[in-house]
Amino acid sequence: MKKGLLRFAAVAALSLAAFSTGAARAADMALDAITKAGVLKVAVPQDFPPFGSVGADMQPKGYDIDMAGLIAEKLGVKVELVPVTSANRIPYLTTGKVDLIISSLGKNPDREKVIDFSDAYAPFYNGVFGPADIAVKDAAGLSGKTIGVTRGAIEDIELTKIAPADATLKRYEDNNGTISAFMSGQVDLIATGNVVAAAIIAMNPPKKPEPKFLIKNSPCYVGLNKDEPKLLAKVNEIIAAAKKDGSLAKISNTWLGIDLPADL
Amino acid sequence: MFDISLWDIVRNLLLAARWTVLLSLVAFICGGIAGLAVLFARVSAFPWLRRAMGWYIELFQGTPLLMQLFLCFFGLSLVGIELSPWEAAALSLTLFASAFLGEIWRGCVEAVPKGQWEASSALAMGYFQQMRYVVLPQAMRLAVAPTVGFSVQLIKGTAVTSIIGFIELTKAGTMITNATFRPFTVYGLVAVFYFCLCYPLSLLARRLERKLHAAR
Amino acid sequence: MAYQFDFGSLWEYRGVIADGVGLTIRLTAVGTVAGVGLGIAGAFARTSRSPALKAAVGAYVEFIRNTPFLIQLFFIFFGLPVLGVKLSEWQAASLAMVVNLAAYSTEIIRAGIQAVPKGQIEAAEALAMSRLQIFRHVILGPAMRKVWPALSSQIVIVMLGSSVCSQIAAEELTYAANFIQSRNFRAFEVYFVSTGLYLILAVGLRALLKLVGWSLFRRRRHV
Repeated sequence: MKKGLLRFAAVAALSLAAFSTGAARAADMALDAITKAGVLKVAVPQDFPPFGSVGADMQPKGYDIDMAGLIAEKLGVKVELVPVTSANRIPYLTTGKVDLIISSLGKNPDREKVIDFSDAYAPFYNGVFGPADIAVKDAAGLSGKTIGVTRGAIEDIELTKIAPADATLKRYEDNNGTISAFMSGQVDLIATGNVVAAAIIAMNPPKKPEPKFLIKNSPCYVGLNKDEPKLLAKVNEIIAAAKKDGSLAKISNTWLGIDLPADL
Repeated sequence: MFDISLWDIVRNLLLAARWTVLLSLVAFICGGIAGLAVLFARVSAFPWLRRAMGWYIELFQGTPLLMQLFLCFFGLSLVGIELSPWEAAALSLTLFASAFLGEIWRGCVEAVPKGQWEASSALAMGYFQQMRYVVLPQAMRLAVAPTVGFSVQLIKGTAVTSIIGFIELTKAGTMITNATFRPFTVYGLVAVFYFCLCYPLSLLARRLERKLHAAR
Repeated sequence: MAYQFDFGSLWEYRGVIADGVGLTIRLTAVGTVAGVGLGIAGAFARTSRSPALKAAVGAYVEFIRNTPFLIQLFFIFFGLPVLGVKLSEWQAASLAMVVNLAAYSTEIIRAGIQAVPKGQIEAAEALAMSRLQIFRHVILGPAMRKVWPALSSQIVIVMLGSSVCSQIAAEELTYAANFIQSRNFRAFEVYFVSTGLYLILAVGLRALLKLVGWSLFRRRRHV
């Protein structure tokens, strides 16, 4: 009985090993597969202006959408936009539903264990924002406050570490939830990206999220599946060229209203 | 950034409601076909098949639709089946509907008196003949009202698919809320939209049920 | 796809999961007790002679039964603050569950009342009992006994429906699952385990309700 079980386990382990090496060898094929299919599937945000949002005509638009178009164009393929939320974009990539994540994705060690990152393509920093009448200058000042944040986002992970014990973090599925919670007064403050707060203010809401303090400077990277060096090199090459010829600066000006920072 | 009037809100909700209707129809039709299979397995002569279907029904009636969606959407792709939000939504609602419809219909089939089975088997009818000519016609009469009633549950169930990113009525509602900062109006309107879809079906189900009781 | 299952990585999050299960149970308990209680009151109101009261309760029941729970929840949590009614996510989730179950149980119990034989009510009227007395002593018991199975299924449905409360950051079981998934990216394992937990909760709740029904409504024999 025991012996049989052992043998079964050994066989299972062997076949699993064969399976994973097979998968690893197949892995570096992504670039060829994309070229062959003629379609680049990109995970883009749909609730994250100005990186990606929908207008009155329900069509996606934004920095990330333009970036996806630029990369597809340089690869000579068509782009297929797949709207994702901040919480589900990594599963989308790791389960092969998309080829790239261009979804204002920041880098952290946990994520680096699971996926690879390109060079940075857009400036971004996270901070805590809130109405003028709440005075907060640092993480300690969050004591006793309720802060809304989008689950799984960089600012969620970072704020979880630095917020005092009596601050309450409310985590929402996506930015829609986080913004709604702030606007309806369900949370005092929100932790989010500079550009999200700027976009909210631009819509002239009844309650304005003004910057309180900086959590983390985290430019955006394109996310790729691991073990795809050819695709990674190609994407980096396209980003470098776009920085040089000014096409990235143009996208940045359109959506963020600023030139690309020199250190990006 | 956007200037959105009340008419814009209504128009966009209407456009999104098409997806709610389409998803409900697909789930209802596919779920009905799969539900028939569940029904036949549930009343079959093989105890093991009946028991397996019992577990199938328990699984879908005993877990949240949201979890079923998450598993379909993220779980299936791990075994190599790629699904878009639309496909994942349609698949999980179909499975969900098949479990409920199969069980509703089983109740109707079992409500047909035992004597009818015995009489038809005395006429040397096979299982499928018995079903086709004797049992199903009577069971169907009983089944119409609760089936229509379930369609209301199904339409409401489509709201949950917004959570995996399928853009239907509820998702459009949350997106528009953040472009307009008018949650009270937008969610109120979304609720009215659902009500307009569901209430006529509820009324129909009740009328059918009353008619059935009057006929007996 | 070289995906290796790793259920072990869930162990460090057992506290989060336990808290989630705890809140799901608390929400269900509040929803059930208050929802069924209000449902009894609603069913009583529907037997009233005032057409206005009957219509008002009827409209409430129909509106709730024909709109999704998720929208009711969003309306309460995000919409009501516009009117100055600001509820915490726990209050909003409880309220939504109570409001939802109350509508369904009003309808279910009403159906049970209709099945109570007319003769019994007339006999009670002949004894000069008040309307409330008749409802409480003559109608309610048999009606509840008759509809208890239907009511039990509805309670289980509402318990399972509580999973969408994660969307307003109420920290119940689905919220716990989503939270863990956003930290360790083990989507399949997390959802598999929490689906299993819901199944256990559903089976347990059904058994509990059966027990409650048995002890509350068992036919009392005449001595």
